[in-house]
Amino acid sequence: MATQAKPSTHGAGDRDTPKWEMVVDLDRCTGCQACVIACQAENNIPINEESAFHEARVIQWIRIERYWEGEFPDVKARFLPLLCQQCDNAPCESVCPVYATYHNNEGLNVQVYNRCVGTRYCGNNCPYHARLFNYWEPTWPEDLRNQLNPDVTVRTRGVMEKCTFCIQRIRRATRGGEAVADGDLQPACAQACPTSALVFGNANDAGARVSKLKNDKRRFRVMEELGTDPSVTYLKQVDTDG
Amino acid sequence: MNSRLVKTAIAVMGASMLLVFGLVAWFLFSAWWSSPPPILGFGDGPEQPIAFPHTVHVSDAGIDCQFCHRTVSTDEAATIPAVAQCLFCHDFNKIDGSLSESGTAQVELAKLIADLGETQEPINWARVYRLPDHVQFVHAPHIQQGISCSTCHGDIASMQVVKQVRNLKMRDCVDCHKANNAPTDCSTCHY
Repeated sequence: MATQAKPSTHGAGDRDTPKWEMVVDLDRCTGCQACVIACQAENNIPINEESAFHEARVIQWIRIERYWEGEFPDVKARFLPLLCQQCDNAPCESVCPVYATYHNNEGLNVQVYNRCVGTRYCGNNCPYHARLFNYWEPTWPEDLRNQLNPDVTVRTRGVMEKCTFCIQRIRRATRGGEAVADGDLQPACAQACPTSALVFGNANDAGARVSKLKNDKRRFRVMEELGTDPSVTYLKQVDTDG
Repeated sequence: MNSRLVKTAIAVMGASMLLVFGLVAWFLFSAWWSSPPPILGFGDGPEQPIAFPHTVHVSDAGIDCQFCHRTVSTDEAATIPAVAQCLFCHDFNKIDGSLSESGTAQVELAKLIADLGETQEPINWARVYRLPDHVQFVHAPHIQQGISCSTCHGDIASMQVVKQVRNLKMRDCVDCHKANNAPTDCSTCHY
């Protein structure tokens, strides 16, 4: 496995175009789920009731994978926030028969809802289970209707959806055409993270925090061996007690 | 001779059915792919709760669009002004005062006063332009790039009742984006 971050193959020769990436520091993650809730609110994701979990029909663009390590009483909990990895070599894109998911020039794996016909090939081909299918028309309690984010499309039944790196925020921040200062633009999950475990930024900007952190010696990318070339880099949790 | 008649009848029926089918297909395709057939146009604009004449305000009074549609250069929506904005010019305590309103204007302004004083509810204007929910249209960059309001909204100054003048289907948007060297990435509008 590669230990050094490859220079991005994406956008070579065009350093002016941003390449949005994220770094997740697992040493900082406490598994508090604030990112999950923030994402839910920002991106008009319907409320997952208990039945949705039983039926494996939950929609979460970011979720916390929890792992127990060791035997009681010497147990450690490991958390891994998992979201769409915005792979540069995305397995989901090549299987879409209607070109509803594609890579744009900012390194984002884009899902075009109005083009999606719901074959679910992309979801089946995603090794991260980051893509979620709308099995039902989304509903909200009456008093939550007015809190829907007007910048985000409410997805109808029968289309795939997934993390967009809060593209609505990217669009809003870059609307004027001027460059975005590092840290000014954050997706909802990173903004909500109380320990700043999630760092988002432009990897084409050498001075950005994300560019420095992604070359940290603790770095790894989830299922990198599959050759998906994810845009999300994780920093390994280091135990001080050996 | 009899069979000849039958054959002719079948031919005529077939031809007329083909014609009807063709017309329907043409209508559907032209409505879907471009604009509705010109004979139908876009129709008149919807009836508004208050007969607000853009003619008087834009043409006669020479008020700039952005004086009322305040957030058009900074935000997604151009926004319809709050009733209080009307007060800026119309002094409701003396309607027949400085602006010398006509009879019709008095009637319409009376509705406005009712809204302001009694019901305390915003005016429920009828929407004229509507894009599908999966399109995220933002006014600001268009205005900032110097696209004038009339490019899409037509000559509002001469409209007594505002109506839609452009079909604003995706092809319409994309053609204009290409012509102006604007991004045509799907995620420019769809997200």
